[in-house]
Amino acid sequence: MPAETQPLFAAEGITKRFGGLVAVSDVSFEISRGEILGLIGPNGAGKSTIFNLISGFYRVTRGRTVFQGQDVSSLPIWKLARIGLARTFQHDSLLKGMTVRDNILVATTQFIRNPAEREKRMSETIDIMGLGEVLDEKASNLPHGHQRILSIAIAFSGRPALLCLDEPLTGFNQTEVLGGLDIIRRLREEFATTVLIVEHNMRAVMSLCDRILVLHHGKLLGSGSPEEVQNDPAIIEAYLGKSE
Amino acid sequence: MLFDKLNLLFLATVAASVAYCLAVPGAFFVQVILWATLAATLGAGIRFVMLVGELNIGTSAFYGIGGYTAAYLTTAYGLPFGVALVAAGIAGGLVAAVFGYATMRTSGAYFMLISFAFAEIFRMLVVESDFLGGNNGIIGLFVSVEYEPYFAATVVAILATLISALAVIENSSLGKSFIAIREREEIARSVGINVLAIRVLCLVISSVVIAVAGACSGFITHLVTPNDYTFMIAVFALAYVKLGGEEHPTGPILGAILLTLAAQYLISFGAYQQVFFGTVIAVAMILLPQGITGRLRDLVRLTAKRTARDAG
Ligand SMILES: Nc1ncnc2c1ncn2[C@@H]1O[C@H](COP(=O)(O)OP(=O)(O)O)[C@@H](O)[C@H]1O
Ligand SMILES: [Mg+2]
Repeated sequence: MPAETQPLFAAEGITKRFGGLVAVSDVSFEISRGEILGLIGPNGAGKSTIFNLISGFYRVTRGRTVFQGQDVSSLPIWKLARIGLARTFQHDSLLKGMTVRDNILVATTQFIRNPAEREKRMSETIDIMGLGEVLDEKASNLPHGHQRILSIAIAFSGRPALLCLDEPLTGFNQTEVLGGLDIIRRLREEFATTVLIVEHNMRAVMSLCDRILVLHHGKLLGSGSPEEVQNDPAIIEAYLGKSE
Repeated sequence: MLFDKLNLLFLATVAASVAYCLAVPGAFFVQVILWATLAATLGAGIRFVMLVGELNIGTSAFYGIGGYTAAYLTTAYGLPFGVALVAAGIAGGLVAAVFGYATMRTSGAYFMLISFAFAEIFRMLVVESDFLGGNNGIIGLFVSVEYEPYFAATVVAILATLISALAVIENSSLGKSFIAIREREEIARSVGINVLAIRVLCLVISSVVIAVAGACSGFITHLVTPNDYTFMIAVFALAYVKLGGEEHPTGPILGAILLTLAAQYLISFGAYQQVFFGTVIAVAMILLPQGITGRLRDLVRLTAKRTARDAG
């Protein structure tokens, strides 16, 4: 398949078992280049587990993950990161004891060795994320909104082809949500970044995403455009209807 | 700001020590300076591995590998001081690479116990090795007579340079990667850091420096024995770090100087030396959890706040 039409990423029947619990069961989906794909589902549905499988933190029990045409199911995390697959963490997503600047430095240094070019890259990251004012603050001292943005900055520092964001807007007020969405859209427009996002703020997800996957009890319940998902009776029953 | 001043104080102390060693090479105080320099290097070396979050009791073994490499090469092959130092550093680095690759997948209490076992195995191997002199060790590490007057000053200069090199690395992007691994390993991995390789590298760098210090220790006493390189060396080093403070590179140096002076002038320990150092670690951790440098920094901040408040 030529590179342009090939999906950037594909999960093929991935399954993850923790002892007796099947956290993710036979899930298949593709992510096209340049897409912003949403992954929604109630707490415990298996969203973070899918992130951990995609990014190499967990090994799949069955199935495989394919990134840019290559089977990456058994690659270690750091190698996946270096070939362009990055993720944020739902919890503790920062190097808390380090300054904002050092967080971004550490995240950039594996990708650019030349100090002058690294500086340039870092300023670019800092500009897009709007972190210029807080560079010398310790990450743990930042207000919550800045902390979540910094975790996106860390993952984006290597300019990944696929960026996976695990609940990036949690705890944001309305203005912050708009700012966060704006940043994510800019990453796609200016850097052609493909995004997979888990987020509980339904209004944000519906306005941001091209397509949405719905996960329930570790299984894929359905997928479609935001309108299709919002009008699918099975999905409303399982998730949307109850939570909104 | 305080830390900048401490850096300056470090450089001034080194310059004064080198000058003193050159001016009165035979004085007893030169010996004290040399002991303090070795102690400071041990403290800086053990703290360096603490950057990736590990306590390396095997520090004593790398110190010993340096001492024995230098002793063997000078007595068996008559190699000069400078070559012996370089060889000691290489030996320490190579052993650290193998040991680290095999063990740095573990962390915390597990790594500490394994490194403790390594320290003991090293000592037992030396005791059992006839070519290393067994329990009697190796005697006869000397620098040439014409070089003798410059020896102490050279040791201080070399080890101070290595300590500074550790501090420079700590401040580089590599050093930040060490700290990132300690802070949260998952994030380090997720940004492309090969955590095992970087942890091993950290151990190797520390061990090269420790081994060079070990070689110097052999030339200072003209003798190496298994008893000079027991795990207590690592306990002393930890005492320097805990007393002086862990946050800044000058912490263990301050701790090393204070404890060396105390050992020389204040208290005659005899058999109680180990009890004393153990007590220092315990008391420092209770009364000065951030060490002296950390306490100083807090005081400076407090004073600054007070001044600001009084002014405003
Ligand atoms: N490391 C783990 N060990 C055991 N169970 C786990 C582990 N990680 C997740 N789980 C379980 O898998 C299920 C899915 O969790 P998770 O993927 O975090 O859900 P979500 O992110 O959708 O809220 C939950 O029942 C959770 O308890
Ligand atoms: Mg989750």
